[in-house]
Amino acid sequence: MIRIDHLYKRFDEHEVLKGISLNIDKGTTAVIIGPSGSGKTTFLRCLNLLEIPDSGTIELGEDKLTFEDQKITEKIKTRFRKHSGMVFQSYHLFPHKTALENVMEGPVIVQGKPKEEARETGIKLLGKVGLGAHAHKYPHQLSGGQQQRVGIARAMAMGPEVLLFDEPTSALDPELVGDVLKVMKDLSEEGMTMVVVTHEMSFARDAADEVIFIDNGSIIEHGTPKEVFEHTKHERTKQFLNRLEK
Amino acid sequence: MVERVSTVTHLLISSFWPILKAGLLITIPLTLITFILGLILGLLTAMARLSRMKVLDFIARFYVWIFRGTPLLVQLFILFYGLPSIKVTISPFTAAVIGFTLNMGAYNSEIIRAAILSIDKGQWEAAYAIGMTKRQAMRRIIIPQAARVSIPPLGNSFIGLVKDTSLAATITLTELFQKGQQIASVNYEPFWIYVEVAFIYLIFCTILTYLQGYVEKRFEKHVAK
Repeated sequence: MIRIDHLYKRFDEHEVLKGISLNIDKGTTAVIIGPSGSGKTTFLRCLNLLEIPDSGTIELGEDKLTFEDQKITEKIKTRFRKHSGMVFQSYHLFPHKTALENVMEGPVIVQGKPKEEARETGIKLLGKVGLGAHAHKYPHQLSGGQQQRVGIARAMAMGPEVLLFDEPTSALDPELVGDVLKVMKDLSEEGMTMVVVTHEMSFARDAADEVIFIDNGSIIEHGTPKEVFEHTKHERTKQFLNRLEK
Repeated sequence: MVERVSTVTHLLISSFWPILKAGLLITIPLTLITFILGLILGLLTAMARLSRMKVLDFIARFYVWIFRGTPLLVQLFILFYGLPSIKVTISPFTAAVIGFTLNMGAYNSEIIRAAILSIDKGQWEAAYAIGMTKRQAMRRIIIPQAARVSIPPLGNSFIGLVKDTSLAATITLTELFQKGQQIASVNYEPFWIYVEVAFIYLIFCTILTYLQGYVEKRFEKHVAK
């Protein structure tokens, strides 16, 4: 489903991704953990071309991009982004549109679906994330947790093959984290392919099929939650996990 | 003394309507037409400034440079008194519309550009993430938010324009101010007549300030205070 081969990315002097290779199968929930500044968010942003890697290849479904050889035009970007949906740390809902309009925007404007059809799907999706009653509210009238769930519904509305989550609960008050994680767990159980960058170890333990530990731009450890958390192989992973427990 | 008060009062009453009428028939239409044209020109110029095409950016910069760097009065003189020497003659009203529009466009483009740049980068990314092109993101997501941000400064430039239209008196357009000048020059009461002129501008600007407040409120209903 997702095949990443030798992905490199540098910002000026700083090499952020140092040859990342990774395969994620369809229906898998892959959780990426690692210290801040490790490159995990940059890696995620490369998957929908919000950052353009310097070299390497990314294959998403049938679509394969090899960086360095080909110029990534706007046309290629918009085509490639159709495979994925993204949920942002600070939600980035469109503040001038209601929850429902946020969800309908992509289907109507990008996919050219009739408004009625998009509205129906939108209401269904908002119901699914527990916000059926809030469809006509504007983002500023919703709590952080509600906004983030609208963000998830908005990403889902495009019918993506994979959902990308960039620290979806990091900006939330602790008591609101649960609702968002619950929605993500449900999606995971339904067989959605998900790549999640997070600091929520409970989510990684309970919902992940695979856990990937990234440090300093490289994958250090990759396995099932049990392998990574209980039978940790690498010293750096151990240090990282120990620090979290304190 | 009593006689003088009565003369001045009579003069003010009899001149009020002619001056107001010049304002309603010339000043207000001139302001509205040039503001709308100036807004469109400003938006196009802002787009050109933000374009990846270097040529467009260069033309836009050059235009803004010229019209912000030279006095409006001189621009009006070139259009009205200068152009006939190269066999282009235009009416005072047309010259005023062209002059004020070009001037407004240059200033508004900077307001609009700044408003667009003030929108959080995350809004672009969210638009891209649902598959939008740059154009769709600009039109659907960025411009509507930038419009709200730019209303207060655009309101200022609108009210500035109302007053700047008095410069059109110098190119023989009988707008509010020139009407006042004409009346003052025949009855030798410049003090009172110009106070009256100032008062009528004040009425116009007050009404427009209220209008601006109303538009701001309408645009702000979606945004947390």
